[in-house]
Amino acid sequence: MFGYYLDLARRSLRRNFSLTVLMIVAIGFGVGASMTTLTVLHVLAADPIPQKSHALHYVQLEPRPLRGYQPGGEPTEQMTRQDAETLVREHRADRQALMTGGNATIAPQQAGLDPFNVEARWTTTEFFPMFDVPFVKGTGWSAQDDANHARVAVISRALAEKVFGSVDVIGFPLKIEDHEMRIVGVIDNWRVVPHFYDLDTDVYGKGEQLFVPWTTSRDLKLMRDGSMNCWDSNHDDAEAVGAPCEWIQLWVELDSDAKAAAYHDFLTHYSQDQIRAGRYERPVNVRMRDVTAYLDFNKVVPDDAKLQTYVALGFLLVCLVNTIGLLLTKFLRRSPEIGVRRALGASKVSIFLQLLIEAGVIGIVGGVFGLVLAWLGLWAVRHQPTSYAELAQLDLPMLAGTFLLAVVSSLLAGLLPAWRGCQVAPALQLKSH
Amino acid sequence: MDFIPIISTLRRHRTAATLIVLEIAFTCAIVCNAVFLIRERVNRMDRASGITEDEIVRIQLTGIGQKSDPGVITRQDLAALRGLGGVKSAAVTNMIPFGGSSWNSSISPIPDDPSPPINVGTYMGSHDLIETLGVKLSAGRDFTPGEYLDFAATGSNIHVPSVLITKGIAERLFPGQSALGKPLYVWGKQPSTIVGIIDVLARPNDWQGAEGRTYALVMPLDIDFTTGGNYLIRCDPARKVEVLAAAEAALKQVDPNRLIINRQTFGEVRRDFFKQDRAMAWLLAGVSIALLIITALGVIGLASFWVQQRTRQIGVRRALGATRGDILRYFQTENFILATAGIVLGMALAYGINLWLMGKYQIERLPVEVLPIGAGVLWFLGQIAVLGPALRAAAIPPAIATRSV
Amino acid sequence: MLHMKDVSKVYRTEMVETHALRDLNLEVRTGEFVAVTGPSGSGKTTFLNLAGMLEELTSGVYTLDGVDVKSLDDKARSKLRNEKIGFVFQSFNLIPDLNLFDNVDVPLRYRRMGRGERHRRIETALERVGLASRKKHFPAELSGGQQQRVAIARAIAGTPTLLLADEPTGNLDSQMAREVMQLREELNEQGTIVVIVTHDPEIAARAQRNVHIVDGVAADLERGPTLVTVQPARLAAHPSV
Repeated sequence: MFGYYLDLARRSLRRNFSLTVLMIVAIGFGVGASMTTLTVLHVLAADPIPQKSHALHYVQLEPRPLRGYQPGGEPTEQMTRQDAETLVREHRADRQALMTGGNATIAPQQAGLDPFNVEARWTTTEFFPMFDVPFVKGTGWSAQDDANHARVAVISRALAEKVFGSVDVIGFPLKIEDHEMRIVGVIDNWRVVPHFYDLDTDVYGKGEQLFVPWTTSRDLKLMRDGSMNCWDSNHDDAEAVGAPCEWIQLWVELDSDAKAAAYHDFLTHYSQDQIRAGRYERPVNVRMRDVTAYLDFNKVVPDDAKLQTYVALGFLLVCLVNTIGLLLTKFLRRSPEIGVRRALGASKVSIFLQLLIEAGVIGIVGGVFGLVLAWLGLWAVRHQPTSYAELAQLDLPMLAGTFLLAVVSSLLAGLLPAWRGCQVAPALQLKSH
Repeated sequence: MDFIPIISTLRRHRTAATLIVLEIAFTCAIVCNAVFLIRERVNRMDRASGITEDEIVRIQLTGIGQKSDPGVITRQDLAALRGLGGVKSAAVTNMIPFGGSSWNSSISPIPDDPSPPINVGTYMGSHDLIETLGVKLSAGRDFTPGEYLDFAATGSNIHVPSVLITKGIAERLFPGQSALGKPLYVWGKQPSTIVGIIDVLARPNDWQGAEGRTYALVMPLDIDFTTGGNYLIRCDPARKVEVLAAAEAALKQVDPNRLIINRQTFGEVRRDFFKQDRAMAWLLAGVSIALLIITALGVIGLASFWVQQRTRQIGVRRALGATRGDILRYFQTENFILATAGIVLGMALAYGINLWLMGKYQIERLPVEVLPIGAGVLWFLGQIAVLGPALRAAAIPPAIATRSV
Repeated sequence: MLHMKDVSKVYRTEMVETHALRDLNLEVRTGEFVAVTGPSGSGKTTFLNLAGMLEELTSGVYTLDGVDVKSLDDKARSKLRNEKIGFVFQSFNLIPDLNLFDNVDVPLRYRRMGRGERHRRIETALERVGLASRKKHFPAELSGGQQQRVAIARAIAGTPTLLLADEPTGNLDSQMAREVMQLREELNEQGTIVVIVTHDPEIAARAQRNVHIVDGVAADLERGPTLVTVQPARLAAHPSV
């Protein structure tokens, strides 16, 4: 019978062609718009490091003076240099790394290449194993390199290829600002989305191309990027060890809840020690958020992306109501035919299925159309002025989701009209007015 | 036109009528909110910077490696820029309105203020910064050349004797009184004196939300280009492009070992800063138009069905003396009733959506004047959409009545 | 075998109750040919709707081929209607979107019959009414008489137990009845009961049995050409409860 219903649907849809096109277009647009925005949201709200999102914790302490203190508030967003360096030195977590964003001018010796600026990160050795950074050549630098303030650098594949035309560059010198550094590792294509470990940089940006040991970057006074907040101005250098400024991120890896709890205790004791030493004035205020909680707390997904999704879903709703209305119209217009079919032995269920399959066919065609529109929509998003533009790609689950959304929506839209259609009484249509 | 018979007819087509009312209501609710959001975005994009935008260009640059004396290079740069044709004045600055990256300070009118700090954007630059920006002073005076201190030599561990503040922050700090001459604690324990009030000077970004947008101050701290990174040039509006090219060449001549990061007219800076808002406004407009079209087509579909279904009835009415105009008005009135029901429901929904959005985002209450716009659009749309089917109905000949179906 | 005992039909609306048929008793044997007559509005159509299971009885018992109709749900009623009953509607009720072949196919489809069997039956039925050569035509391309023959082909293709035919009011030459008469022998062989609503006294005279309905009350006249009118108006109006 399915084949028969399908054939009937085909005939019926061809008969009221403009109405059919209207319904398909409505479903297609609704589904296309929804899937475009949902795909963007799906990308933006992705877990950047699923294998470790509960093991990695962002650490915050409260080093500010009592002035302006209000109970119950959040501690400072970032760390002072003194706290961050101390905690890394103490090495109480499985892994830990302090870091800040920066930028540097690369002055290649190669002919035909002008100097250019790259985004960079000044950090410590465990950054690479902690964030599972993939290397195509070499490795990160060692703890010894950190201690020795070594002139070494890890660069991205893109930077290696741009400057040297190859990734086989381990041991090569690279001129960063005025300084020559030795390349120890080349990172394979690596882009965490969102850029969770430092939300002060472009959260959906391409990430850094250059990594230099923290100690080295301080010796050479390499430029830092990101926000810095100082609560006292009686210091000459805001980047110095004792300066009352927060500007450093500290991440720790703790692979069990017990370890996380122990580390939290450690931070509490550390804060108490600082208070006793007179360095901290406010009560102990320690935060440790794992990646998921940290991204949630900071509301990383842009409001506009969510708003667009709501708009698109609202649009789909109107398209569906529209389709319900049009299908109802269409089916009731066929009351005479339905009456005859009922008289000739079609049960209500048969009629219901016949009409629902017709709605389903609209859904399938609308789904294909919606898929094309979603693809076009994402193409348009990729040409939008946002840093996440190029990430807006339709992956397989979203592709299947689009199709499913179209078919399910149109079947839902078909339910009421089909039910009303199968209520047509067989007898009524026998009367010749 | 008598509404009662039309309404009783609609009651017999309850499902279809309900659907069309719902569709109109949803469309009305979404379009009202979209219009409101578009208006908000447009207002945002129209926000005043306070500077003479059409005369200003900027060059953002960075040095390569450590410079031995960036202050000297900066003075040479500025001299070269001021000497270019069409240039009225030039200054180095740490940041520009709508430029993105910002310097900020916490300020207070009293020392060791225990209340939560107020955050303001902190401009500094060479001595003709105020003149180059072209900001208007509503009270007080610009800095005198003697007031300027060398920031590179001292850093922020310094007593700044005088500051200029915007009217926005002046009213926040000293409501109902003149801020002029009052002390302000910015950096350190020593207060600075407020010597002038700037009408408007926008901050580089929205970091501090809507409230802090107008909060800015200017300090008489002479900086070099490695701190500031921005050269602002005020010039003849007709020669902006030419001046930019000449300025870049001049800077390269002073010290070629530098990297130009940005070279823009202020118009381009503003466009870049608000590009997301513009994209969002267009998206909302596009969706609204698509919604209105879909709804209009839905109205046409339903009206056509009803005309077809009532063909015989219409013929009988015509045979009994109804004019074409009567038939036309019948369908128009019917659509008016449906649209009105949809609009009333839509208004309530619009407010509901608005409240929900207010809970989630920094959005204001839906202004009442948006509602009549939405209502008008949907009434008009409904009448346009129903016109075709209604005219077809009016064209039904009375002879239909005597024909068997 | 068609058996009706004390069958009544009452239409209730918000305002009135209308007794369309009262206490009808009728027994028709396999292969019999019944003519139903009566003035316009007398309840003939109601009788057809009840006999064809298009409407439910208000009271009484109706058994077709030994099956009590009243106890059946929609699905079973539809199945029974599909297998046992053939309709020739007053206004033919051909589906305009389907060609002749597909129109005749409709009831067979709902019987979930195999493809070969359906084709054989459709061809045979169309041949019997002389339209086999036009099976690809659409109803709109046929004359009224031809449409009527398609409707008959559709009714007999399923070899029904009961063939219900409603004579078009305006068709004074009683075309349909004649067409059906021509198939009478074959229908008799299949044992099909034929019930035909007609205005033509001649047709009525040739039927084995006449049912005359006036104002909802039927007189069953076995093998009689004489028409008897029973009882005047019995339309009852009651306020709704």
